[in-house]
Amino acid sequence: MKPQRSLFPVPLSRLAGPALLLCLLSLGFAGFAEDNPETSAWAIQVNPVEAEEGQLPPDFSMAVYEDVIAQLQKTKKFQQVYRAGDRRANSVPNLLVLHMTLQNFELGSQTTRAVTTVAGATKIQVHLKVTPRDGPVVVERDVQGTVRLFGENLKATYALAKDIAGVLRDTSLPATSKAGGQ
Amino acid sequence: MTTWRENLSLLCRSLCVPGMLLLLFAAAGTDLWAQTADKASDAAPAVRVRHVLGLEGVKRNSRGSLTVQAQALEFKSGSVSGAMPVASIQDVFTGQDSRQVGGKVLTLAKMGVPYGGGRVLSLFSHEKVDSLTLEYRDADGGLHGVVFTMPLGQAVVVKKQLVALGAHASLPVASQPEKQDAGGSKQ
Repeated sequence: MKPQRSLFPVPLSRLAGPALLLCLLSLGFAGFAEDNPETSAWAIQVNPVEAEEGQLPPDFSMAVYEDVIAQLQKTKKFQQVYRAGDRRANSVPNLLVLHMTLQNFELGSQTTRAVTTVAGATKIQVHLKVTPRDGPVVVERDVQGTVRLFGENLKATYALAKDIAGVLRDTSLPATSKAGGQ
Repeated sequence: MTTWRENLSLLCRSLCVPGMLLLLFAAAGTDLWAQTADKASDAAPAVRVRHVLGLEGVKRNSRGSLTVQAQALEFKSGSVSGAMPVASIQDVFTGQDSRQVGGKVLTLAKMGVPYGGGRVLSLFSHEKVDSLTLEYRDADGGLHGVVFTMPLGQAVVVKKQLVALGAHASLPVASQPEKQDAGGSKQ
C-alpha cells in the first residue's frame, strides 16, 4: 500500500510554533505603534540648567541641555524643539518653555564604582518646570538621573534627560488656542 | 717592533677624538630634532580627542582630531567632520575627569575574572583626561554645547589658542579651577 502524500511538504504541527511567534510579534508591533503618542500642537523651547556658580560643572550643564533636546526630539510629541535663544521661537504661537533648576549634584567616580560596586555614584537632580508663555504651569516635578555601576559620570545626564522626556511624553498638554498663545 | 698593547693604545687615541665629535654631533642633532619637532607641533596643532556630544552630524563618542584654525574649530573623524566658527563661541571651559579604559570589552573581561580580580584590575585601568566644553550660538541664535575629552594637559592649550583667536571665555585660562574626580568634590 502506498503511503498517502500530504499537501504540505512540512507537517502542519511544525509550522504552528513559527506562526504563533509571528502573531505575537505582529501584536507587539501594533501595541508599540499605539503607544507612540501623536504629535501635539505645541512646540517647546529648552533652557539650560540654572545653577549657582560652581555648583554644576559646565560639561554636565551642557550635557544635560543637549541630552534633553535630543530626547525630546525622539519623543516626537512636539512640533519643534527649540534651543535657548533661538529667534525662530519668538514667532511660534504655541510655545512651551522648559526650565530646569539644579537641586542636587553629587560627582562620583567611575573607578570607585568599578572597584566597590556600591559607592561612587554620580547623581544629578533638577526641578523641572514647563510653562506656556502666558498661562498656568503645565508640569512641575523633581527628576533625578543617576549612574550607579557602569558608565562614565556623564551618563547620569543621559538618564536624567530620558526621565525628563518620559515625564513630558506622559503629560497631557493643554488645548492650544487657535489664535495662538502670544 | 710594537707590542699589541702599544697598538691598542694607539687605536684608542685615534678613535677618541672622532668618537667625541660623533657624540657631540649626536647630542646637537637630538636637540635640533627636538626643536624641529616642537616647531612642527606648533604648525599642526591637531589634537586627538573624543567627541562626547554636541556637534551636529557627528556621532557621540567618536574619536578624531581637533584643529584650531583661523576662523573655526574643526573636528574630523574619518569622513565625518564638524566645525564651529570661533566668532560664535560664547564660552570655553576646561576640566579634568578620570575614566576607565578598555571600554565594554575590558569591563566584561573584568567581570569574568574570579575572586574579585576584576576589581583589582579596575584600580589600574583608569586614566585621567581633560575635558573641553564649548558653548556657541548658531545662525538663529540657538545655544549649543559641545564636550570633548582629550589627553591630559591639552584642553588648556586649545583654550589658549581659541582665546587668542577671539573666542570669549568667562574664566581666564589660568584662574579656572579644575574638576576633581574620585573624591566627589566639584568644580
